[in-house]
Amino acid sequence: MNTFFSDFFEYDFLLYALLGTVFLSMTCGLISPLIIARKNAFMGAAISHSTLLGLAISLSLFEASQALLVFLSTLMITIFLTLFLAYSTFRQKLPNDSLIGIFYNATMALGIIIHTLFAKDQSDLLSFLFGNILLLTKEDLYLSLIILIITILVILIPMKKWLFLTFDEEGAITSGIRAQIYHYTFFVLLAFLIVTSIKLAGTILVETLLLVPGFFALKFSTNIRQTFAISTIFSTVFAVIGIILANAFGLPSGATLAVVLFSALLLSLLIKRVYDLLR
Amino acid sequence: MNEVILRAAKISYSYDGNDPILKDISFSLRRGESLGVLGPNGGGKSTLMKIIAGLLKASSGEIFFNEKSLTAYAHYPFHLFSYVPQSSELNPTMPVKVKEFLDFSISLFKIKNPQLIDELLDLVGISHKKNSLLSMLSGGEKQRVLIARAMIQKPQILLLDEPTKGLDSKGQDQLLNLIETIKKRDGTAVMIVDHNINQIIKSCQNILCLNRNYHWHDHKDFLTKNILEDIYHCEFEHLLIHEKDLNAENPHNHHFCEHDHDLAPATTSHPFIRRKP
Repeated sequence: MNTFFSDFFEYDFLLYALLGTVFLSMTCGLISPLIIARKNAFMGAAISHSTLLGLAISLSLFEASQALLVFLSTLMITIFLTLFLAYSTFRQKLPNDSLIGIFYNATMALGIIIHTLFAKDQSDLLSFLFGNILLLTKEDLYLSLIILIITILVILIPMKKWLFLTFDEEGAITSGIRAQIYHYTFFVLLAFLIVTSIKLAGTILVETLLLVPGFFALKFSTNIRQTFAISTIFSTVFAVIGIILANAFGLPSGATLAVVLFSALLLSLLIKRVYDLLR
Repeated sequence: MNEVILRAAKISYSYDGNDPILKDISFSLRRGESLGVLGPNGGGKSTLMKIIAGLLKASSGEIFFNEKSLTAYAHYPFHLFSYVPQSSELNPTMPVKVKEFLDFSISLFKIKNPQLIDELLDLVGISHKKNSLLSMLSGGEKQRVLIARAMIQKPQILLLDEPTKGLDSKGQDQLLNLIETIKKRDGTAVMIVDHNINQIIKSCQNILCLNRNYHWHDHKDFLTKNILEDIYHCEFEHLLIHEKDLNAENPHNHHFCEHDHDLAPATTSHPFIRRKP
């Protein structure tokens, strides 16, 4: 058991993975309640799946070892796709989910075709789909820290405006808050966070990190401060447990994180149910 | 006579190039007065309200605040008015307390008055709900919180979109009385969309009857039975719309038309406004 932990201090790449996990899970925990309350869960799934197109194009242009170039290229393509989605879904009359559903299937399909035809190394894709901590580098650690700082600046500092918009969008707009700017900012931030988290959680499973902490917090908290605190703590604690288990048993990090977070959620809901029944 | 604070000239609006839901709508509202907007469901009342509030952009026509055209403002003059949406449009997912909800606006307008939340909740009569979650309040209480929020920036105009929706007769009367109190206290002009015909006619100086392309706007004394029947596309008998008539008997009942299913009263024996069999 001791090697589970000592590994992280013995090997640099594992330490980067651990610290990266802490930063990314804290960021996901901070943003997660807003994703759920703003009803953007499906949008998050669409962005994470559409990163596959960006990844496929990037892996056709660069080697997987050129980590920063792959990251920047994927980020730019994903932000472009996200802005298109954000533009198409801002205060529209038709329900957004249909367009989002069409969009993410189409971009994912296109990504798989491009990867099959043009990728420099066919074996990389699986790691990006389900996460692989062995891919994490020192640069990823810095990027994780940058996205955490940006999230604190963009979400935490003007939190009251985000909450106002989330709780009463029309009231917020007529009070002078420029909802469109917040709408685009939120999705660009989400795209940045998702692209940064790909190596850790994978494009398919990153959504777990974005949704489970917020869902847990909104289920158990009784006020706003508690919601964001619980979400961040839950996300960080169980993501770290997940990464330790992934390393110990040689499992894909994204899948392990998803199972650990989901198990924690399920167990807590069960305990709450039993507690409510016994009370 | 007070000066005109809000004026709309030939406002038209259509959704996505379909037939216009509003066509050439004109009206005006004076300082300290109120304008009641009546009409059947789908007649464009809320759309008109959203256009005035800057949530929708009119296809054509012009809006003037304090006789200054909107085109002359660098930004939409949100500071001049407060818009009160229907309470059902609030997102209940977040555990937001009443005082936190009011604080969103107080922080936004950078108002430094630690007593303001208590004063506002006192005004709307729910100071005991200060620490309650908004999602746990009744429809009437939520509406009062929304009105309290609207008063934070001391608006010149209060725009109210169906504030009595979902409330019982007593709740409707209490809320409309509260609006009347605010109007008298602060000299705020009020534009109100509502289905409570009797109360609207009683409390508003001017009436705008609206049904898509057709509208009528004037002082309430000039409102007639025929005008309301034309607007609602149904006939009423014993339509007594003036204050002396309204005061004579119980004013709580609503009119009833086939297209207003959600307002169907328990009985058809309405004392004032009754659809002809």
